[in-house]
Amino acid sequence: MIALITTPAHNIPYLFAAFAITWAVFFVYVFFTSRRQDELEQEMESLREEMRGRDGDGDGGGM
Amino acid sequence: MASVANSARGGLRWNIALVAMAAVMVANMFFTFMFAPTEATSGHVQRIMYIHVPMAWLAFLAFFVVFCGSIMYLWKRTAKWDDLASSAAELGIIFTTLVLITGPIWAKPTWGVWWTWDARLTSTLVLWLIYVGYLMLRAYSANRSQGARFSAVLGIVGFIDVPIVYFAVDWWRTQHQRLVLGGLSLEGDLHPDMRLALLVSVIAFTLLFGFLLRQRVSLKRVERGVREMREDAEFMAEGQR
Amino acid sequence: MKTVVEFVRPALLVAWKDVLLELRNREVVATALVFGVMLVVIFNFALNITPETVDVLAPGVLWVAFSFAGVLAMSRAFVAEKEEGTLDALLLCPVSRDSIYFGKMLAMFIFMVVIEAALLPIFAVFFDFSAFSATLLGAIVLATLGFAAVGTLFAAVAANVRSREIMLPILFFPLVSPVIIGAVETSGAAIGGSGAVVSTGRWLQLIAVFDAVFLVVCPWLFSIVVEE
Repeated sequence: MIALITTPAHNIPYLFAAFAITWAVFFVYVFFTSRRQDELEQEMESLREEMRGRDGDGDGGGM
Repeated sequence: MASVANSARGGLRWNIALVAMAAVMVANMFFTFMFAPTEATSGHVQRIMYIHVPMAWLAFLAFFVVFCGSIMYLWKRTAKWDDLASSAAELGIIFTTLVLITGPIWAKPTWGVWWTWDARLTSTLVLWLIYVGYLMLRAYSANRSQGARFSAVLGIVGFIDVPIVYFAVDWWRTQHQRLVLGGLSLEGDLHPDMRLALLVSVIAFTLLFGFLLRQRVSLKRVERGVREMREDAEFMAEGQR
Repeated sequence: MKTVVEFVRPALLVAWKDVLLELRNREVVATALVFGVMLVVIFNFALNITPETVDVLAPGVLWVAFSFAGVLAMSRAFVAEKEEGTLDALLLCPVSRDSIYFGKMLAMFIFMVVIEAALLPIFAVFFDFSAFSATLLGAIVLATLGFAAVGTLFAAVAANVRSREIMLPILFFPLVSPVIIGAVETSGAAIGGSGAVVSTGRWLQLIAVFDAVFLVVCPWLFSIVVEE
């Protein structure tokens, strides 16, 4: 009924590929989001410094 | 603001969550590779099921979150619902992409073809196209509030369309069956151990989804905070000149 | 009774305005029609349609021509309004957004039916089949209604974003894929090709459900799209 193109012993690479790709996708995603997080934290810090450096006549940075 | 950043990353709670998440995933791997019995006819490659099926479920769940977030955004008009909807849409596309990648990798050694136009794969492909359109619409909108509004509209229409697409593709396929596909029915005759391994996998990946979604939403919140701070800084610089 | 008139009259007026505009400058229907004929010719070369294969291939070619010509016509519907600024004027009128939606949708439906009515005989002559069965006409009306319901909403969306020419097809085709499947299957049975497993009645029901759902959802979302 099922045409087996490869014998069970030979299909391990397919299994490996499926899991490797899935985990690679997740790690790349987490890597990029956490890098973006770092960038944002740095930018927030520099913005805060900049605002502190000014005369305190503003509202101190919103939020 | 610092507390916002901490809730996203760093901090004790984050580290505990990270370790717990890793532990769950290791347990999941154990169930997938050790506990679940090897399938008799197709062998080890059948274990792809333990990622393919959870990904398909999560794609559906993520797009349901997009749907709910979109409705809530149009009702309340607060940015946090848009953050939720758009974050879930991104993750949903990742899950759909993984369904579309692992499906063919499973199909090739089992059926001898990479792709079959079966109801699940085909409607997943249509879903993928709808939600890629969702992200493109956000990218091409004139401003953020317009992007949020338009994408919420698509988030609602797209999800309502899902069952109709599925029915249409399913009927269409029964009419044009090109390939008799046996042996891999997902519902019926699964070995109890396989079913347990699948359940563990579904739960583990659902936790991962919750984890990633939370991280993405808080990242969007920080992004918005930084943008507002930058605007304030520019405004103040303007005033001092 | 009065509220019905208050709703229907402006909708008809909006549709009438679009039809008059089209009669005057003939931008939408003519271009889409030529495009449709061109598609049929190209498909003839690409698929090498012969009397043996025509039953299998004709429904698909027919609906690709209809939907592509249709989406071309739709993309014009709000672009002109946007460029001339008439959409804002229309929105300032004391009529409900639903009336505007249904007016635009009706105009779009009329344009598409005209395009299809012109393409169908050409098609029937080229590929030698009798075009006028009740099933085929039913499928065309129901499918075109579905196209117009979703198309009006997303034409309004696409008119407001960058790359609008490509955004409408990208958003439109995946959403209406069930309608296209149903229309192709019904037309196939009507032309006399495939032995239908799922009866044509069920396909028409599916398209009708699609139409009903989106004729309720789209007017509401339209008011959100055109707000501000």
